[in-house]
Amino acid sequence: MRNLLNFLLKYNNIIVFLILEGIAFYWLTNGNTYHNSKMVKTMQGITRRMEGRITNAKNYLSLREVNLQLAEENSALRNRLEQFNHADAPGFDSVNDTTAGRQYIFTAARVTNNSVNKQKNYFTISKGSLQGVEPDMAVTDGNNAVGMVVACSRNFSVAISLLNLDFRLSARLKSSGHFGSLTWDGRSPRYAILNEIPQHISVSEGDTIETTAFSAVFPEGIGIGRVSGIKKSGSDFYRITVELFADFRQLQYVTVIGNLKREEQLELESQYQ
Amino acid sequence: MINTILKYGLISVVLILLQILVLNNIQFSGYVNPYVYIMIILILPSLTPSWLILLIAFFTGLVIDLFFGSPGMHASATLIAGFARPFVLRIIAPRDGYDPGSSLSMASYGFRWFVIYATTIVLIHHTSLFFIEVFRFTDFFRTILRIIVSSIFTLAFILLIEYYRKGR
Repeated sequence: MRNLLNFLLKYNNIIVFLILEGIAFYWLTNGNTYHNSKMVKTMQGITRRMEGRITNAKNYLSLREVNLQLAEENSALRNRLEQFNHADAPGFDSVNDTTAGRQYIFTAARVTNNSVNKQKNYFTISKGSLQGVEPDMAVTDGNNAVGMVVACSRNFSVAISLLNLDFRLSARLKSSGHFGSLTWDGRSPRYAILNEIPQHISVSEGDTIETTAFSAVFPEGIGIGRVSGIKKSGSDFYRITVELFADFRQLQYVTVIGNLKREEQLELESQYQ
Repeated sequence: MINTILKYGLISVVLILLQILVLNNIQFSGYVNPYVYIMIILILPSLTPSWLILLIAFFTGLVIDLFFGSPGMHASATLIAGFARPFVLRIIAPRDGYDPGSSLSMASYGFRWFVIYATTIVLIHHTSLFFIEVFRFTDFFRTILRIIVSSIFTLAFILLIEYYRKGR
């Protein structure tokens, strides 16, 4: 017993260190989708509110009200447009069904927290489950892809930014339709990398890169960026540097896009995979 | 005693607020990320028991983590820095040892000593932090470059604050 006590006394630092480091690493490895961790969820309310205030102060300088109105109006118009857009909608539809014939819903949100200088960037937006935002919805800055919602609280959502080493996006060349996978290499917030485009395809600088609908997250044809550099890697694929359209350092208002037919598509696909 | 605790509490709050409100918003490039909050660990009095340093380090890291939305990254990196602190202090001890009452500041031990001390701790903290952040060894040298550049900025901020403290 005395030996044990002596031992504990002698190495108490190392023991405390190892215990605390253990806790930190447990959190680190289990909480990579950090908002799942219970403790964070309770703290979230407080920190989010503060972040919200900070952002409010910042936005005052950039005519926040006007922007918000415009963004809301935009998404309302898009909602209308999507209702009329589908040729396959039944002709005389007297049922007042707001989801009839449409695949996507849009809503505008404010960015309350954002970063571009980390290797795994996330941003927070000011709408959550109460406003109908759900995980796996696409986020655009109006015209261009910027991320995907990964978690929602009641009034806020966290979205994984395109500038995150863990984020992959199915993307294609607008000109030829060949698709590959877009990732970020952690270097500059202005550039991303498009892989898996085979070398027999002709690609030239300035070509537009846009999203595909394969993952059932993004609608087809949302802009991502333009080709700014083409390198032949060792394998049979190009390594294409894409200059992003979206300016992540000035992200203030985003449009969240939900896919109403996502479940249906995934369910059908899962039967064959 | 109470006075000292209050003083350090106040400095800690100021440093954390500075980190959250100002420095976290420097989105200059991926290379410049000063983490000045490490100064909380740096300037604790030399008498502070090691277990207390570790606890303070852990909770400082925790608060920063919550605001960054990063899982345990800053907590573990700050812990490593706090754990290394007694060893660093022993290695670079001045000839007549540490004055138990004084704080570890530039005013008490001189510019040269403080720069060596701060550089060592900041490098330890940043190295662990950036490697925990990427969690891989690909792009090894780019991570090293990020560590060096960010350390320089952190040190510049720490020295500025230290000069201000010394001047008063």
